[in-house]
Amino acid sequence: VSDARAGERLREPAYATEADGDRGRERGAPSGMEAAFGFMRLLRGGVETGLDVPEALTRAAAALPRDARDTVRRSARRLEGDYHEDEWGFDEEFTDMVLPFFEFMYDKWWRVQVTGVHHVPTHGRALLTANHAGILPWDATMMSVGLVREHPLPRHPRFLVLNWAFDIPWISLLLRKVGGVVASPYNALRLLEQDELVAVFPEGVKGAGKSFSDRYRLQRFGRGGFVEIALRTRSPIVPVAVVGSEEIYPKLGELPLLARLLGSPYFPVTPTFPWLGPVGTVPLPSKWRIEFCEPIPTDNFGPDAADDRALVFELSERVRETIQQKLYENLVKRGAAFV
Amino acid sequence: MGASLAGRLERDPDVEYVAGLDTNRPAALLERTELLEADIRSPVIARLIPQAEVDTVVHNQIIRRPGPGMSARAMHDINVIGSLQLLAACEKSDTIRAIVIRGSAGIYGAEPHAPQFFDERMTRLFPLRTRFQRDVAEIENYFETYSRRRPHVVCTMLRYQPSIGPSLNTQITRYLSLPMVPTYMGFDPRLQFLHEDDALDALVAAVKRPVRGAVNVAGEGTIGLTRLVRLAGKPTLPLAGPLFGPAVAAGRRAGMMDFSDDFRRLLRYGRAVDVTRLIEEVGGRPRYSTVAAARDYAAKQGGRRLMPSFRQAVTG
Repeated sequence: VSDARAGERLREPAYATEADGDRGRERGAPSGMEAAFGFMRLLRGGVETGLDVPEALTRAAAALPRDARDTVRRSARRLEGDYHEDEWGFDEEFTDMVLPFFEFMYDKWWRVQVTGVHHVPTHGRALLTANHAGILPWDATMMSVGLVREHPLPRHPRFLVLNWAFDIPWISLLLRKVGGVVASPYNALRLLEQDELVAVFPEGVKGAGKSFSDRYRLQRFGRGGFVEIALRTRSPIVPVAVVGSEEIYPKLGELPLLARLLGSPYFPVTPTFPWLGPVGTVPLPSKWRIEFCEPIPTDNFGPDAADDRALVFELSERVRETIQQKLYENLVKRGAAFV
Repeated sequence: MGASLAGRLERDPDVEYVAGLDTNRPAALLERTELLEADIRSPVIARLIPQAEVDTVVHNQIIRRPGPGMSARAMHDINVIGSLQLLAACEKSDTIRAIVIRGSAGIYGAEPHAPQFFDERMTRLFPLRTRFQRDVAEIENYFETYSRRRPHVVCTMLRYQPSIGPSLNTQITRYLSLPMVPTYMGFDPRLQFLHEDDALDALVAAVKRPVRGAVNVAGEGTIGLTRLVRLAGKPTLPLAGPLFGPAVAAGRRAGMMDFSDDFRRLLRYGRAVDVTRLIEEVGGRPRYSTVAAARDYAAKQGGRRLMPSFRQAVTG
């Protein structure tokens, strides 16, 4: 087998050896079409000489410019099952692969401005607690991009996602791969005990599904379960205020019958959805601001603090007020919603 | 597996006496195991077991899927009535100190809204949806009642995740050896497996150190279904949710595949369990993680082909 491989290498065109990918391009590298034809030729040759598809893909990638070559080789490797997912199903490589799309949304579409990122601990556990709006969890993804981009020691936060999302094909898969888990207190506890950064949205479906007229009015923070989790694991709570997500899908009404039919918690009606079909799911390009606020420590409370209802409600209310206040501040700083 | 367990126990110097109860003689050669030929469903065992004067009983015969020539009713009888008869027999014995049951993690179900890791206390989070789940729950109930009534007997319920390994013929290995592996389109569940060697080790560990109550048994970590199928070198056949059932039914009529309801739910939503108790209390850390077990299986199957190569297709 090794001889056959050596033979393959000899037949590779000179411009395509791994070492001088960039120099090759300067010397008049092949145009896009030529590269594509070379790729197809090598791929067919590889398959005809009895190679596996992933193996042949890897070889044929030699005919492509470096970026494309890396992509093809990575896909070939992933096709063989040679990639890593942690026990939660988080796939860091995949997350990095889809990052450019979210970066486009972050930079160009919503022009997100992030402040206070230094409040997020660089290591160890922490519970990010944010307001939730905008039907789909875009705010969670923008928080992640913000952290990965702006934080001196980038970390991928794990977020708790509304349960019903895990019933939906593709969405469930995508969420799991980028670090989403089912919104269950057991998951939050386990993740925090593993010293992860966990993002929660205590408003839950009440926040995501509120109507446009209620924008920037925080809903009830559940029963304060997130505070209990933070107290139990002694994780600091970092309140996060997200401004802008409220305008991306201005919800005017809903169709409860259709929602019940689909088993989803709500079926929103916006100026574009469902009238324009899939185009209606394109979010509006509002301007965003995300502020990470000062952490609230929880390790100064005793071991039984998590069972102290009064304390839990008090802390929950404190977090809620912080976020509400920061929301108003950032709304003023942002100015007009869309320009 | 019963015979391999007996073989392992025979070689153990701490074990004085081994007896095996089965309807037919084991394939493997056993030296000092006394064979009791009886059906677990018959009341005869109520005489045989006290006579054997053992201190530990291992209940290894909980059937996951009726094999050829076995009806669902027979499976239910063996699982539930068999366990009841076994317990009745154990009641009569004064020597028994421990009962170890090889149960199933199927009791947790496979649920889209489930916590990512079930621990031993989470059996009642979701309704029991399949017949097998209800059977397992019933068995667990009997053993719980028994251990409450007989506090000096330690009942260990081992909740096994599916086993995988080159020499096994189980639902998951049959599934992975299909020429095209059907999957639910848009779902990539996290699965968890136990290597076949570890499956035996865990049983031996529990016999030597029984603990009270349920213990999850699985390799550490999880593996996505897509990754598993790719490691096994198979192409997937993604089917939209509503089409999966009819496709599997057609496959069954063609004699190609036969998946239980539990297995189908597993392929859609997956399941993973927390194995802290196994490692810390029983002291049996599986040697293979889930991914290592899957890799071992794939390597010993020999094939890493995603598709048959051109040459193979021509020359056959």
